[in-house]
Amino acid sequence: MAAFLLRRILQSLVLVWIVLTITFFLLHLAPGDPMARYEHPDISPETVMKMRGQLGLDRPVIEQYFIWAAGFARGDFGVSFRYNRPVGEILAETIPNTLRLTVASMALYVLFGLALGMMSAARRYSAFDRLNTIVALFVYSIPSFWLALMLIMLFSLKLGILPSSHMQSLDSASMSGIPLFLDRARHLVLPAFVLGVASAAGLARYMRGSMIDVLREDYIRTARAKGLPERSVLLKHAFRNAAIPVVTILGMSLPFLLGGAVIVEKIFSWPGMGGLMVEAIYTRDYPVVLAVNFVVAVMVILGNLLADTGYAVLDPRIMSKETGR
Amino acid sequence: MDGALQEPCRSCWSGGWARFRKNRTGMAGAVIVTALYLMAVFAPALTPYDPISQGSLPEMRHHAPGGDHPLGTDKFGRDVFARVLYGSRISLAISFLSVTISVIVGALAGAAAGYAGGWVDSVIMRFVDALMAIPRLFLLLTCIALFSNSIPLVIILLGATSWMATARLVRGQILSLRRQDFVAAAESLGAGGRRIIFRHLIPNTLTVMIISATLRIGGIILTEASLSFLGLGVPQPVPSWGRMVFEGREALLGAWWVSTFPGLAIIITVIGYNLLGDGLKESFDPVHFG
Repeated sequence: MAAFLLRRILQSLVLVWIVLTITFFLLHLAPGDPMARYEHPDISPETVMKMRGQLGLDRPVIEQYFIWAAGFARGDFGVSFRYNRPVGEILAETIPNTLRLTVASMALYVLFGLALGMMSAARRYSAFDRLNTIVALFVYSIPSFWLALMLIMLFSLKLGILPSSHMQSLDSASMSGIPLFLDRARHLVLPAFVLGVASAAGLARYMRGSMIDVLREDYIRTARAKGLPERSVLLKHAFRNAAIPVVTILGMSLPFLLGGAVIVEKIFSWPGMGGLMVEAIYTRDYPVVLAVNFVVAVMVILGNLLADTGYAVLDPRIMSKETGR
Repeated sequence: MDGALQEPCRSCWSGGWARFRKNRTGMAGAVIVTALYLMAVFAPALTPYDPISQGSLPEMRHHAPGGDHPLGTDKFGRDVFARVLYGSRISLAISFLSVTISVIVGALAGAAAGYAGGWVDSVIMRFVDALMAIPRLFLLLTCIALFSNSIPLVIILLGATSWMATARLVRGQILSLRRQDFVAAAESLGAGGRRIIFRHLIPNTLTVMIISATLRIGGIILTEASLSFLGLGVPQPVPSWGRMVFEGREALLGAWWVSTFPGLAIIITVIGYNLLGDGLKESFDPVHFG
């Protein structure tokens, strides 16, 4: 197990390094100058030159790459062109917010995906199953930004029962304990729903297929033959085995959720990494773009690593294949 | 000659079409997609309004659906139905062209990796892994940060950021085809690598490629719409569905139709392509897609 993990971690580190190098050269070799926005009659060319020097933009690209890579290795992400603050500080503020949103969405995603998939498989070809398939196809095709606006229109503007933006109320500073928790939970409902439940359609279809395969196995017939109630056949025997391949899908769905978070954070004014990324694009704030890509790539690769490990733990056959024993 | 030396199943095509015509999902998708293309082509005949020029604002803005304007007007007094119609041109053209780019790049990369093997394979596939580790929207935004947005740029970038799945698929196919006897036969007759790839291997992966391209178009349409929604896709004032949804959000309560209808257009288009792709998959290649 240790050797398996070590190899996977090393592979992942190499992967992160390749991702960063690609992004770095993309950003630095392409046309477009981050200093262009300081071209202003009131700012002398000398000042711009000086700033260029301070930011290291006057050196050859290769040299910039090594300086930047050395900094990255030490955990120094550089200084944001726009906010003139260390990127590390900005990330430390936004990452927890994005995590809160993604974790909540992931929970909804798994819950709805697995439950709907399992119920569909248990009543295969029933009216419920057919309805599920049709709804899944529809949900799968909805653009998240449109769904978000429609939900805001209904629940925030028409009914006025849920807030339409931000992570907490303006007067939340005066709250604490349970009221604060409830306030934040209310703000989380719509964004987490858009991000999580909308992507659950794909997971449900996958779970349905996996479950149908498992229900054909001999041990399910044995379980039924010895008179176990259908409920425990489904939940105990079938579910556990059907969920194993789904673990891999969970790992792969992380890029999907993080990508979706960009849009959802923008619409709901959620102070996370996605919104930060969009702002950084508008203003060509390269250090921020690079750092956000780095964090996202690490999250995605970590997710895959966890999924692979989880898969290996749940299904011992994988391990023996990997180690050749 | 022994049947084992023949290439697998060119005649599957005719059987596939027969199956496809009986496939209700696939046919429904085909009808929707065809109807959309017809609407895009004949847009000027279907509406008297211009999608871009603005009417006199005080009289024309935010008309509710009905009467002269079946889907209402937006805040600049432009007819929403006309804008949705003309918007289909942008959406269909962009998605079709970028999926073509992505299939070509993906097929070349996958074929090179699968046929050459060794370090070429490792380099290409590690590059693919690295690109797939960044969510597509982040990758796209990073690239867009470098240029100012225009329609050709959006097409190229959407293609350039979505070829990786095709590369993996084609590589897998080529690896399994390589071991078959007809490739050994071609090699023993003295065919070179390029001839084997383009004459024998790629034609045999075409079915799988076309199906996966159809299934991916929906996702590309959604991504293009998201970019335009963020103001980083199709530039103004060209009517694009994503941007129209964005413009409607200022008056969600008073003029709900401005955001709602372009969104429905996106959904119908994506559903159409997904149904078509599912139908093709079930009729032509049940094996590889399960």
